[in-house]
Amino acid sequence: MARELLAEYPQSTERFDEMFAAPLEPRAHWRPMLEQIAAEPVERIRERLQSVQRQMRENGVTYNVYADPQGAARPWELDLLPLILPQQVWSGIETAIAQRATLLNKILVDVYGEQRLLKEGLLPSALVHGHAGFLRPCHGARAPGDVMLQLYAADLARSPDGQWWVLDDRTQAPSGAGYALENRIVISRAFPELFRDMKVQTLASFFATLRDSLAHWAPQGGPGTSGAPLSVLLTPGPHNETYFEHAYLARYLGLPLVEGNDLTVREGCVWLKTLSGLKRVHAMLRRLDDDFCDPLELRGDSALGIPGLVDAMRRGNVLVANALGSNLLESSTLFGFLPQLSKKLLGEPLKMPSVATWWCGEPAALEDVVDKLDRLVIKPAFPQLRVEPMFGEDLDERGRKRVVAMLRARPNDYVAQEIVQLSQAPVWDKVHPRRVLARAIGLRVYACATPNGYVVMPGGLTRVASADARVISMQRGGSSKDTWVLAAGQVNTFSLLRRAIGPHELVRAGTNLSSRVVENLYWFGRYCERCDATARLLRLALGRLVDDTPGDDPGARPVIIGLLRHAEILEPGEQEPDDAELVSELRAAISDESRTGLASGVRELGRVASHLRERLSLDNWRALNRMSRTIGHNHGRLRTTTLSDVLVELDATIAAFTTLSGFALDGMTRDPGWRFLSVGRRIERMRNLCTNLKFALAGPRDTDLSWLLRLADSIITYRARYSARPEWLPVLDLLVCDDANPRSVAFQVYGLHDYARRLSEMFGDIGEEKLDASLAALRALDPGADLTHGSERLASFLDECSGAGYRLGEQLGHRFFSHVRESSHQTSAT
Amino acid sequence: MRLNVVHETRYSYSSPVVLSQQLLHLTPRALPWQACDAHHLSVEPEPGEFGEGTDFFGNRIARLLIAAPHEELRVRADSTLSVAPREQQALALPQTAWETVRDRVRVPDGAALVEAAGFLYESPHVETWRELAGYGAQSFTRGRGTLEAAFDLTRRIYADFKFDKTATSVSTPLREVLKRRRGVCQDFAHLMIGSLRSLGLPARYVSGYLLTEPPPGRPRLVGADASHAWVAVYCGEAAGWVDLDPTNNCVVDDEHVTLGWGRDFSDVTPMHGVILGGGEHELAVHVTVTPLES
Repeated sequence: MARELLAEYPQSTERFDEMFAAPLEPRAHWRPMLEQIAAEPVERIRERLQSVQRQMRENGVTYNVYADPQGAARPWELDLLPLILPQQVWSGIETAIAQRATLLNKILVDVYGEQRLLKEGLLPSALVHGHAGFLRPCHGARAPGDVMLQLYAADLARSPDGQWWVLDDRTQAPSGAGYALENRIVISRAFPELFRDMKVQTLASFFATLRDSLAHWAPQGGPGTSGAPLSVLLTPGPHNETYFEHAYLARYLGLPLVEGNDLTVREGCVWLKTLSGLKRVHAMLRRLDDDFCDPLELRGDSALGIPGLVDAMRRGNVLVANALGSNLLESSTLFGFLPQLSKKLLGEPLKMPSVATWWCGEPAALEDVVDKLDRLVIKPAFPQLRVEPMFGEDLDERGRKRVVAMLRARPNDYVAQEIVQLSQAPVWDKVHPRRVLARAIGLRVYACATPNGYVVMPGGLTRVASADARVISMQRGGSSKDTWVLAAGQVNTFSLLRRAIGPHELVRAGTNLSSRVVENLYWFGRYCERCDATARLLRLALGRLVDDTPGDDPGARPVIIGLLRHAEILEPGEQEPDDAELVSELRAAISDESRTGLASGVRELGRVASHLRERLSLDNWRALNRMSRTIGHNHGRLRTTTLSDVLVELDATIAAFTTLSGFALDGMTRDPGWRFLSVGRRIERMRNLCTNLKFALAGPRDTDLSWLLRLADSIITYRARYSARPEWLPVLDLLVCDDANPRSVAFQVYGLHDYARRLSEMFGDIGEEKLDASLAALRALDPGADLTHGSERLASFLDECSGAGYRLGEQLGHRFFSHVRESSHQTSAT
Repeated sequence: MRLNVVHETRYSYSSPVVLSQQLLHLTPRALPWQACDAHHLSVEPEPGEFGEGTDFFGNRIARLLIAAPHEELRVRADSTLSVAPREQQALALPQTAWETVRDRVRVPDGAALVEAAGFLYESPHVETWRELAGYGAQSFTRGRGTLEAAFDLTRRIYADFKFDKTATSVSTPLREVLKRRRGVCQDFAHLMIGSLRSLGLPARYVSGYLLTEPPPGRPRLVGADASHAWVAVYCGEAAGWVDLDPTNNCVVDDEHVTLGWGRDFSDVTPMHGVILGGGEHELAVHVTVTPLES
C-alpha cells in the first residue's frame, strides 16, 4: 500500500468508510482499484485525470446553477474514482428500493383514486390536502396498469454502522440518471481493464427497459395512430439546471426532445407540431414539474406547459411519466407513516428505513422535537415552503427560542430529522496528483416500472459533499462519482421487454421533426455562415495590418473599411480610421460579446445550438465548445496578445467552421431538417457574397482583387487556373457564374432553388418561384459584356439575388416558424 | 323561489386568437335546496370541441376549444332554478363549540369529517398568518358555538371593511386587503376563509349569484349585478356546512344562487382560459338574476 497515496486520508473516523474495513485494511472489492492506482506512475494518473476533464468539457457536460449571476452553465464535476459496491451489499439496496417504489406507487394510486388511506386514518389529511403537490384536477385519472411512478429515485446514505437509509424520495421527474450514464461512459474509459475485470454491471439495459416500459403502457390506437406509439421527452428548455441531461437522455433513448410549445392538445389527445402537420404523441417522459404542465387546469401562469394535458391524461389518451400529481410524495412528512403503510399495503415490513423524521404536525412529535432540537435538523414539511434547513446544533439560545416559537406557530409546516453521519469515500486530490482525500458521499439510485414490477438501475449517481459534509447539493457545487456495482456472475445485459422493430414501425427521415427544431436548424445554418464570413473579414482586415502580403493593394483599404462598416464592426463615419484605431476596434469585435462581431455571433450560434442539443452529434459539440472557449472565454487575452496570435486564433476559428460544415455535409441525414439548415446556410452565404461583390464593384476599377478572392475562400482555385494577378473578368466568373465553385453566387442560387423545390414537394408551395428571377438573370449574364467593373446588369443581378434570399427566408419563417415563438397566455373572467 | 340567471361574458381581442381553450364553471350544481330546471350554454364562435363533466369538488364544468381564428368570444349561460329558503333552518341548527369542531377535523373520522378536512389548509389565494388568525380569534372566544362565532366574524368583516370595486383586483394579496380594509365580495370571502382556517376550522369558497332586484320590502344586496362569492363554514357533524355572506352580513337564504365551491376563487373561476394570439383584450361581464312567477 502506497503510504504517500493515503497521507491525507483519515483512517480512524466516526464515519463509515467505503474503502477501508479497518485502518489500512481495504475492503476486498476495493483492492483491485487501490492496487492499480498505487502502482501507477504519476504521469499515467495525470493522463487519466486529464482525459476525464477533457471529455466532460468537450461533451459539454454542464449543470446550470440558478444562483450564478450570469446564469452560466457550470461544468459537471466528476471524480476519477468510482464508488464501488459489492453484489451482496447491492442486492440489499436493490430489493429495498424496488419495494419502496412499489409502496409509494400504491400510495399515490390510492390518493388519486379511492382515498382509502385517508378515510381509514392511515395517512393524515394534512399530508395530502396541505401539500401543494396534491393536484385536485388529476384526481380520478386512472394510470395505465395503475403505474403512476414510471421512474423513481431515492437519495441514500450509509450511517457509521453500515446501515443504508433513505434521505429523500424523488417522484415527479427524477434527475441525474443521465449524468450517471455520462459518468459511466467517461470513467469506464479511464479504467477500461479494471472495468472489465471487476465485472461491473452495465447500465444500458436499464434505459432500454425504461423506453420499452413507456411504449408498453402507452395508449394503443385512437386518433392519428399509425405504426408504433410515439414517445417524447418533455423539457422546460435550455434554462433548466439539468438541460444537458434532458438532451443527453433524449438522444440516448431516441426520443424527440420537445418543449411545451411544440405540443398541443386536440380531441383530448396530445400532438406534436411537426413540419408535416400534427403527429399524435402517445407517451411522454417529462422533466417539467407537475404544476407547470397544464396552464388550463394547473398553474395558470405557466408558459412552459401544454393547455389541456390534464384532460388528455385523464381520458387515458397519453401516458405521462411520471403521472401528473406525483410530486405529492416528495415530502419527508410521509416517512413516519411508511412502516405501517408497508405492512398494510404490501403485507411486509419496510426493508430500508427512512432517516428518522418527526412531523411537527403531530403534537407528541412536536414535543419530542423541542426536547432534542440540538441533535436535529429542521426542514420544511412540503416542497412549496421555501425554507433552508436549520441545524439545531448551530443555534444559540436566542435562535433556539425563535425556532421553537416558529415550530409552535405553524407545526404542520415543519419536519425534524436526525442528522445522518454520511459515509466517506476516496476522491482524487486535484491539486496533488498523487493523493486521495476522504469526502462524505450520498448515493442516488433509480427504479423503473415494468409489467413484472420495479427494476433498479445497477449503479447510480454518487454525489460528493463539498465543505459542509452535512449537505449534498449540486446547486452548492458538489461533485459526483460513477457507481460500480459488481456482478456476482456474468454481467447481465438482457432487457426484459426487448422486442424487434416491425416493418410497419420503420421511421422515415424527418417525419417527427418539430417546427421548433426546424427553425433552430435554419438559424444554426445562418449563424454558422455569418460567423464564418465575419471571421474571414476580420482576418483579412487584421492581416493587412500585420504583414505586407504582396498584392495587398492600399487602394482596397477604403473598400474593406466600407465592408467593416456595413457589417457594423466599425461605427459609421466619413473619415477613415487610422491603423491604431482600426486595430483596437477589430480586437474588440473579435472578443467583446457586447458588440456586433465574432464573439457575439458565436454566442448567438451557441444559443441556437443549445436548443438543438439532442440533434447535434457529439463531434459537432466538441467543435462548438472548442470555438466558444477560444473566442468567448478569452476576452482579456485576445485584447492584449500580439496581433499574430490573434490571427492564429482566427485561423483556428475558421477551421472550426469548416469542420462544422463538413459535419453538416457528411454526417447528417438528408431529411427536411438538413434542408432547412442548408437553406439557412446558402441564404446567408449568397447575401454575404453579393455584398462583397457590390462593394468591390463600387470601388476603384484598377485594383488588386486578391482580397475579394480571399474573403470568398477562392484564392487557391484562382491561382490554379490563372497564374496572373486577379483581374475582373476571371474573378467575377469564378465568384458569380461558376456553378462548380461552392462559394459562387450561381452555386447558391441553383442550390436554393433545388432545396426549395424539394421542400415544396413535401409541404406544398413554399415559394421557389422567388428564385426564378435570379435564375433567369443568371442565365442572361453575358460574360463578355457583364462581367466587368461598372456593369449595370451585374449590379442589378446581385441586388435581385440578395433580395430573393431575403424574401425566401421571410416566407419560410412565415410558413413554418412564426407560430412557434408566440407563447400562449391565460385569461380569467368572473 | 324560482329564478332566471343570465351570465354573459364577452372578450374582444385586438388581434385574432388562433387557439382558445376555456374551462367554464358556469353551470349551477344541483343541491338539496337548489334545483336547476333548465340550463343552456351558448358560445360564439361555435367551438370546435365542447365537453361537460364534473370537477374534484363535484361542481359542473364545461370545456371548449376554438381553433378557428376569432377576434371576439361570447359565452352566455342561461339557467332557470328553484331555490328553497334556508336561513331559518341554519339558525335553528344544533351548535357545537368551535374547539370541538377544530379537534374533530384534526384527526378526521368518517366521510363527512374527511371531506371537511380538505378545506383546512392554505390554498393559492388564501394564505394564513398570525395577524389574520388574531383578527378571527376575537370572534372565537372560548367555548362559543361555531356558527354563532362565525356569524359574529361575518358581521365584523361587514362592519370593518368597505366595499370598493376600485381597491383590488383578482391578484391583490390578502395581506393587502387586511391592511387597507377594503375590497369586493371575493376579497371578503377569502379573508373570512383565511381567518377560519388559521383557527383550524374548515372553510370553503362559494361562487354564485344574487337576485338583482330584491322582492318588495327587502333591501337590494351588494354585488348583485355581477357574479358573487361567499363562505361556507363547517359547523360540526350535526350542523354540517353553513353558508355566510360577509359582503351582506347575512346567512345565505333563497336570494343566493350557488354555482359551485372550492378552496378559493382559483378552484371555481367562472371562466378560465388559455389563448394563443389575441394581443390586448377587453372583457365585459354581465349578470342578471330575475325572479320568475312560480
